[in-house]
Amino acid sequence: MELYEYSALELQKLLKAKKCSATELTQSVFARIDTVEPKLEAYITLTKDNALKQAAKIDDKFSKGENAGALAGIPIGIKDNICTDGVLTTCGSKILYNFVPPYDATVIEKLKAAGAVFTGKLNMDEFAMGSSCENSYYKKTHNPHDILRVPGGSSGGSAAAVAAGEAVLALGSDTGGSIRQPAALCGVVGLKPTYSTVSRYGLVAFASSLDQIGSFGRTVGDAALLYDAIKGYDSLDATSAAREYFNIADKLDGNVKGLKIGIPAEYFGEGVDSEIKLMVLKAAKELENLGAQLINISLPSTDYALSAYYIIACAEASSNLARFDGVKYGYRAENYENLVDMYERSRSEGFGTEVKRRIMLGTFVLSSGYYDAYYKKAKLTQNRIAAEFTAAFKECDIILTPTSPVTAFKIGDRFDDPLAMYAADICTVPVNIAGLPAVSLPCGKLSGLPVGMQLIGSKFSEQTILNAGFAYERSCGEYGNVAKI
Amino acid sequence: MEKEINIRRIAKLARLHVEEDEIERFERDMGAVVSMVEKLPDFEDNRIPLDEKDAMPFREDEVKPSMERARVLQNAPKTEAGCIVVPKIVE
Repeated sequence: MELYEYSALELQKLLKAKKCSATELTQSVFARIDTVEPKLEAYITLTKDNALKQAAKIDDKFSKGENAGALAGIPIGIKDNICTDGVLTTCGSKILYNFVPPYDATVIEKLKAAGAVFTGKLNMDEFAMGSSCENSYYKKTHNPHDILRVPGGSSGGSAAAVAAGEAVLALGSDTGGSIRQPAALCGVVGLKPTYSTVSRYGLVAFASSLDQIGSFGRTVGDAALLYDAIKGYDSLDATSAAREYFNIADKLDGNVKGLKIGIPAEYFGEGVDSEIKLMVLKAAKELENLGAQLINISLPSTDYALSAYYIIACAEASSNLARFDGVKYGYRAENYENLVDMYERSRSEGFGTEVKRRIMLGTFVLSSGYYDAYYKKAKLTQNRIAAEFTAAFKECDIILTPTSPVTAFKIGDRFDDPLAMYAADICTVPVNIAGLPAVSLPCGKLSGLPVGMQLIGSKFSEQTILNAGFAYERSCGEYGNVAKI
Repeated sequence: MEKEINIRRIAKLARLHVEEDEIERFERDMGAVVSMVEKLPDFEDNRIPLDEKDAMPFREDEVKPSMERARVLQNAPKTEAGCIVVPKIVE
């Protein structure tokens, strides 16, 4: 087995036992990148020189017996909407083609303090708007399990890189499913934490009330390890939760005896592929065999979540993306007649079609005469969806659903049909609407393509959902292996 | 409810330039999304009003070092004399 194939938890043991060095591990990952990246195109920017420098510093600390940090020497990829000081950050957009942040996001500062080694910046749908990674201005990432298919999105590069061994761990962001859906399509673990538990300072905002940074790993333990390193209160994020945070990775015991798992009828309906439903229900049975109790529940307003999501997310996006005007940073049009013309041309030439569509929709729903009909309605729907989850969590501890209604579709299949693309999010979007934590983990394959199951928890219950995921993985999961390409 | 979506007006508000041949496609795409949204029922507004006493804590108004100007300006398309150059606004 090559070094790049091990999990982070295994690598920590190898590094501690001096069976390998951080430098060797980094070189192994970059050799893997050299081999498969031409087929996968997961990265926008590679930071090999810096990575080797970071690894050398870690090896130096190891040799002196110093504490090098909780993630010392582990190669991690970063989604390209997270600001990295001195390293190009494009958000997959032409409008930030030359943007080099003068500061690190809080999560990056934390990972640096933890001794992480950064492999580079990962491809994504432009401004996190998309479910296939086809909306990136730079390149289309390919699914490691079938390179003619999409990896999912918007954190498609992150999911593909981890699945293929081009990174041991990766950071992504999730606004409507952008960590969980690509995790499901690429056969890896993806965690979207409770809204407010991971600082958004330095995350380029899409929808501020829904966005969360989260973790990718090939195992549940790895996703937990990365989450432990990035979670916590941050005074630079006004929505950050000031509370006590406890580490999870070292407390996973896989004990699910008596755990009540809600199975919501609305997530197993017509919109989800029937073979996926069967596979996910089979996984639920596995948890029942391990001592959990399955309970039928109902979340009646599930069908309205997608509409509410698109209104709220696009409204917030139209406001957040107003800052891209060609003035202080990013793309500025070459020819313009006056200030407003400069704004219009810079934005129109710099943004892609899907981004423009969503900005237009958001502008529309917030405009006078339409605000009550659309935006207010969506907020009340959001309120109802959150209340239904709260009521459900009185009957059960976690909720189990499919993550994606389909397995990875072919590149180009849904690109021209926005509603078909949006439908990829039906199982994930309600979770963001309610601000809850959820993890997707692999539970099988259909015709060689990964299937993911989603475990949803009440607020701040990451430990519970990760532990249930760990229980399943320990019992059934041979899914932690790097994809053969 | 007015069904017509005025793409040109929205584009102006959003500071986006839309080409003539794009207008029809935008109308269609947005019309489809609007139809999806019109199916939302009228839920009761039983949201809990914000509690003044539970307000977000403010930080102290202290002067602290900020970012050096050169770093802030390093991404600006055009600078001069420590300022960002933009088209004339005031006649």
